[in-house]
Amino acid sequence: MNESWKSYQTGNFFDELITPKGQPRAAARGAIRLLQQLPLEEMAARRAAAELAIREMGISFTVYTEGGNIDRAWPFDIIPRVISARQWQAVSDGLRQRSLALNRFIDDVYNKQSILADGVVPAEVVLESGNYKAPCAGMSPRFGVWAHICGSDLVRDGDGKFYVLEDNLRVPSGVSYMLENREITKRVLPELFENYSILPVDDYPSKLYQTLASLSPRERRRPCIVVLTPGIYNSAYFEHAYLAQGMGAELVEGSDLLVADDDCVYMRTVDGPVRVDVIYRRIDEEFMDPEAFRPDSMLGAPGLMRAWKAGKVAIANAPGSGVADDKVIYAYVPEMIRYYLKEKPLLASVPTYLCMREKDREYVLNNLDKLVVKPANESGGYGIMVGPHSSAAVRRKFARLIEENPRNYVAQPTLSLSTAPTYIDDAVEPRHLDLRPFILQGEDSWVTPGGLTRVALVKGSLVVNSSQGGGSKDTWIVEGKA
Amino acid sequence: MTMLSSVAERLYWMARYLERAEDTARLVAAYNHLIMDIPRGSELGWDVLIRILDAEPAFYASYRVGNEQNVLRYLMAEQDNVSSIPFAVRWARENVRTTRDVLPEETWEQINELYLYTNDTAEKSVGRRNRQAFLEEIVNRCQLINGMLASTLPRDHAYRFLRLGHLLERSDMTTRLMDVGAGEILARDGTHGAIDPLIWASLLQALSAFGAYRRMIGPLVEAGRVVDFVFREAMLPRSVAFCLAGAREELKPLKSHQAALRVLDRGRRKLSRLNPDHMTRDELHRYIDEFQSLLSELHGVITATWFHPDTP
Repeated sequence: MNESWKSYQTGNFFDELITPKGQPRAAARGAIRLLQQLPLEEMAARRAAAELAIREMGISFTVYTEGGNIDRAWPFDIIPRVISARQWQAVSDGLRQRSLALNRFIDDVYNKQSILADGVVPAEVVLESGNYKAPCAGMSPRFGVWAHICGSDLVRDGDGKFYVLEDNLRVPSGVSYMLENREITKRVLPELFENYSILPVDDYPSKLYQTLASLSPRERRRPCIVVLTPGIYNSAYFEHAYLAQGMGAELVEGSDLLVADDDCVYMRTVDGPVRVDVIYRRIDEEFMDPEAFRPDSMLGAPGLMRAWKAGKVAIANAPGSGVADDKVIYAYVPEMIRYYLKEKPLLASVPTYLCMREKDREYVLNNLDKLVVKPANESGGYGIMVGPHSSAAVRRKFARLIEENPRNYVAQPTLSLSTAPTYIDDAVEPRHLDLRPFILQGEDSWVTPGGLTRVALVKGSLVVNSSQGGGSKDTWIVEGKA
Repeated sequence: MTMLSSVAERLYWMARYLERAEDTARLVAAYNHLIMDIPRGSELGWDVLIRILDAEPAFYASYRVGNEQNVLRYLMAEQDNVSSIPFAVRWARENVRTTRDVLPEETWEQINELYLYTNDTAEKSVGRRNRQAFLEEIVNRCQLINGMLASTLPRDHAYRFLRLGHLLERSDMTTRLMDVGAGEILARDGTHGAIDPLIWASLLQALSAFGAYRRMIGPLVEAGRVVDFVFREAMLPRSVAFCLAGAREELKPLKSHQAALRVLDRGRRKLSRLNPDHMTRDELHRYIDEFQSLLSELHGVITATWFHPDTP
């Protein structure tokens, strides 16, 4: 065994690859054995090869700073995270169940509102939320599906059990990095693939294509699908281009589209206007159509909502889907599953205290040092307070924020996020991680085998977002033993 | 399969910038060769390069003298002037970045490697020692990308607009090169007759056309023959005639091509009237000027027809 692994300690956390006794877990055995036998200089060489591949493949993400936007190379750890196929099957079933219930919920909220009438979810929580888009009321997209692409964040607690942390139903990103991570591992550690049966991930673009094509309002052998991006300066532009290419779809910006008097959407081409059937929207609905939402938006195309409501174009995710992407609504998902599907939730949710409830609020304010407090409506890990890691001043600030706007805050117990061996400098050390699988929902549903594993590179940190010093790992779902 | 107007425009510009990077590298390399062959006392100025590229105002805004060091720094290492190699490479890359979805996957990787190479190497290649290797590598890498595109890209709109960009940029650079010949020799008329052949030969070299010239025309390098060869030889890939014929081929299948073809055919007729043996240097210079404005008119028509058509 090389030096870098010898001092590896799993500590008090569940480790994805190593048992508390220091042995590799069954699914990871082959990979660990091989990595442990690589001499130190060889490990460093593989890491350098990965960095070079990332630079050459141009895999980057954009960080917004006050000094302007910076294109950073994608941070990647060469040690893969391994999950057994059997374990994954259960998670995957749970995710499909969740996506189904969430979509039923969105469709219900914009139509009959029976879940509100039955008092399962308080009406004001939904209807007074900024995420509820009144112009969408009365719409029923094909198959009753609104959120066609969902990225759910999963974590594992100290007991090794998976929990859903949140569901991203607006414009979830990261899937291209999942695909590129696999590409990089194949390049720099090809021998790992020899004795393993690792579920491939690279059919995601064709699955996405099938899902989107099934939404086309016109019956055509090859519907016209476009990926609508806010443009080159968006942090996920790389991914927008990647997916457009993977699907053979056009990558468009708002200025490439126009909505004509017939309410159809056209793109401007060298052959004149061409009708668009499906828009994969990677732009917030607020900016999508200055006619319907923010009039100052330069990113969208005027009339898109009009075209969508006239049934002349399909939009994924449908405008208004964000109503279910709210950390208060999150607390009700188990109820939704029981209500709509008459099933028991297959995946655990993290117990969530809603500060708008008086009893919950009182508990939260008295236990700020133990809890993670989150704004109901932010993403990217912004505006979060991790109680045990925060100063008294920060806790006082959050207490005030909660009192001022209780609807906007939820709190959850601090989970002991699982760890995995991560190659830091010259040593292999445990680092905390999460997992974002992607769920596609059209007529059928489909879950990526694995997903994007994000890892907090700073020792002890729980923040995995790449904009805040997080890295990533290739994620393997493996069949059988190795 | 149709193509977004905005994408067609970026592809067209990506090809122009890539061709510009290559042609600028060729130009500097050929000139660098030439300088070494010129006998003492009749040195040519490096500022000729700045004149060829119509860059005098911008250049003299930052430099006082057009000497070797300044001119080469300006063309090889500076990031922000429109005539430099790093500038052309950067914008070729930016345009690939926004058209990756219609290009073969490896395009981005290769243009990115070219970009990284240019950034890492340009600064230390201004000096004589590394200069030639750098310029050759730029040409090689540009050719690698063009070769990859030529051998993998389906012959649809993407290929078409790339090719239009290449051919227009190439005709532009070729005519500029000929103008140096005309202008440079014009200035010395008669007095330095001995170095004339050297200059024309180096211009042929910049076009990788010296070998072809020797085989097809003969070993003697004469001004009139070179001008005729470079403008009108239909079989020479960097000749103006070849570029225009190629552009015509790409324009024909496009919708609403009439206006563009009219301009292009005017250019072809103009080419057929060229008679370098009966032209003074001055007349040749005027002819080239007119030809360049015709190319710029063609660019304008292409832009108006396919990239920014009025509301449909």
